[in-house]
Amino acid sequence: MSVPSEAEPVRRRLRRSHRATEEGIHYSRWFWPSFTIPASLWLAVLFILPLYTVVSIAFGTVDPIFRGPLPVYEPWWWSGKQFGRVLDESFGLYRHVYIHTFEYVVIASALCLVLAYTVAYYVARYGGKRKTLLLALLIAPFFISYLMRMLAWINLLDTEGYVNKILTFLHLVPHPIDWLSGRPSTVIMGLVYGYIPYMILPLYAFLDRIDANLLEAGRDLGAGPARTFFRVTLPLSRPGILAALVIVSLPMMGDYYTNNLLSGSPHTTMLGNLIDDAYGSTGQGPRAAVYVLILMVLLIIPMLYYLRSTARSLLTR
Amino acid sequence: MRHARDLSRREFLVRAGGTAAAVPTLSAILDACSKPGASVSGSEALQIARPDNPVTLPMNGEPIATDTPIEQGATIQILNWSVYMWKYVINQFIQQYSDNGIKFSGISTFNNMDEGVQKLQSGKIQADVFFPTIDVLGKLVAADLLQPLNHDLIPALAQDNWAAFQNPYYDQGWRYSVPYTIYTTGIGYRRDQIPDEQIHGMDNPWSILWDPTYKGRVGVYPSYRDVMAIALMKNGITDLNTGNDADLEKVRTDLLAMIDATSPRIAYDASYNKLQNDKFSVTTAWSGDVVAGWSYAAPYTEAAYKGFGYWFPADRKGPIDNDLIAIPKNAPHPRLAHEFINFWISFRHAMDNFSWNGYQPPQTKADINTLTQTEGLYSKQSSSWAAPADYVAPWMPDAVVRESDFGIGYREGPLPPDVDDHWHQIWSEFTAGVGS
Repeated sequence: MSVPSEAEPVRRRLRRSHRATEEGIHYSRWFWPSFTIPASLWLAVLFILPLYTVVSIAFGTVDPIFRGPLPVYEPWWWSGKQFGRVLDESFGLYRHVYIHTFEYVVIASALCLVLAYTVAYYVARYGGKRKTLLLALLIAPFFISYLMRMLAWINLLDTEGYVNKILTFLHLVPHPIDWLSGRPSTVIMGLVYGYIPYMILPLYAFLDRIDANLLEAGRDLGAGPARTFFRVTLPLSRPGILAALVIVSLPMMGDYYTNNLLSGSPHTTMLGNLIDDAYGSTGQGPRAAVYVLILMVLLIIPMLYYLRSTARSLLTR
Repeated sequence: MRHARDLSRREFLVRAGGTAAAVPTLSAILDACSKPGASVSGSEALQIARPDNPVTLPMNGEPIATDTPIEQGATIQILNWSVYMWKYVINQFIQQYSDNGIKFSGISTFNNMDEGVQKLQSGKIQADVFFPTIDVLGKLVAADLLQPLNHDLIPALAQDNWAAFQNPYYDQGWRYSVPYTIYTTGIGYRRDQIPDEQIHGMDNPWSILWDPTYKGRVGVYPSYRDVMAIALMKNGITDLNTGNDADLEKVRTDLLAMIDATSPRIAYDASYNKLQNDKFSVTTAWSGDVVAGWSYAAPYTEAAYKGFGYWFPADRKGPIDNDLIAIPKNAPHPRLAHEFINFWISFRHAMDNFSWNGYQPPQTKADINTLTQTEGLYSKQSSSWAAPADYVAPWMPDAVVRESDFGIGYREGPLPPDVDDHWHQIWSEFTAGVGS
């Protein structure tokens, strides 16, 4: 792999332009950029405006009668009082909530990665004629809503549920475990189960595209299966791993329903629960909006890392 | 018929912003470009109702005329809490008015009062009847979202309902509301784990929620007012609307202590489902939830019904409340709405609904003996229950609300904004497990 010279993009552009001229097709300079208009409008209407509304609520006030959130759209009237208060609490009273959330998401994402990678690797490398079937089975959980899948786990993890029945039958535990009594492990398990399909698919897409000749070349050069995997497959799938981690860890950070359903205990409160509680409480709308903005800022960090890594890997290709 | 109203700035902002992330129009944005709160009115006139400070709500227009005809072919629109009305009784109403071609297509529901108010405010749901709580009634009137009731069209209130509700403190002269259900807030418990004698013999039964014996088996509602009210009661503080810092600090300390002592879990269905199915041993409980709990007690045996009980102070000095029925200002069928309210609070229909939802109506003929010795319609109708199930199980007379309770018990009323924020702060610390 060679690093492209600075002149190369110019040559490519010239070649493309030359071919277009040869074919008698002339594009105005706005032709290709105009393709971005629909997506830009989409983003402007469905992302930037709602985001601005959230910011306006965070720096706004509340309705004096019903105490619902009252966004203030004019920045010159904004008040930073609520923002300062929530920031103070985030570094003080509620710091443990941020730490819990970070711990749960890191552990759940790591477990997701281990499990999803092995499954995706198997399907991509050894799926053969059954690839389509295996992929369909992997997509199958998407047909059931997240809520329903979590509700199913409530029954499974019950003290009289199948999980405890199997564990006690196999004498792995002396008594049924109360999984739903506010255990961090249960919340992490729920996150893993809920989000793992979102990790398998992008990983599979990357692994399936790895050129088998590269693996063969590795073996021809004397590397065993493990060495080939660690020296060839794993580095090549790094962008896929990063993409998959971003896809699952970002929504996990804001997740509140898994915790509500599988725990409900103050011991396992996550950042998403703080947002949900504030959102559902009279007069606390601005507070909820501030939490949303804090979460956004926190999520931008891994997102930037992902973008930087992706850009770097494109350069080295 | 919808009453035309100009869109005030406040209404616009609430509708356009709020949590709906709706996209406002340019003209509306320009309209909103004045100092926030500058044109807001009404909040100053809002009076906080208390039993010792009764409130007469201002009249926003006149009630509909008594001779207003019943709307023909109308579909009754109901906006209510979920699982709070028995559709069988609604269908009875539809049958009674079949000559008028009345139809029913379903209930629009909300999960908390804020959501209900938001649905009403947005105008997306034009309901004929709405079921508010006392604390928002004055606000709804201040925002001109309710219409005054015509008393001539609701004779059932005087005929069948308690005198205490003929002139309630929160709505003197019942200009806008009639009572729907009444309930107390107490303790639900598993009788096989906590015998009746044990909880009734305790010096301070409220403190059972802090008893480490039940660690991991304690459930509390996701309702800051009710859980904090119980913490106040535990400390012997009877002002359930207190803004006193020392009182609230006791509540804060106690709630955080509860996390370590019993690892409580927060659940809506704590006392009507999880208690009955032995997931919890002790819970905060609204009397109506425990009363309705028998129909959740799988496997529907008499033993399962007898597995849970309800405690409320014997001197009846505890949290007590009632919910309301009102007619929105923009109700499409206001005359039908009056008929519906009259039907719903009349003895037979109110009791039939009670047999299903467990929340007692303030009916004069429903005394404690009647309620604990009479099988309700819902129990009679199904062969899958271990019948008979009385309106209220005989072993939990504490769950029956008496008219005299409303002169003895403690009411939760609306809180001033700064006090409400303080309450929310404490609740937020509890739900976030601060210090645990």
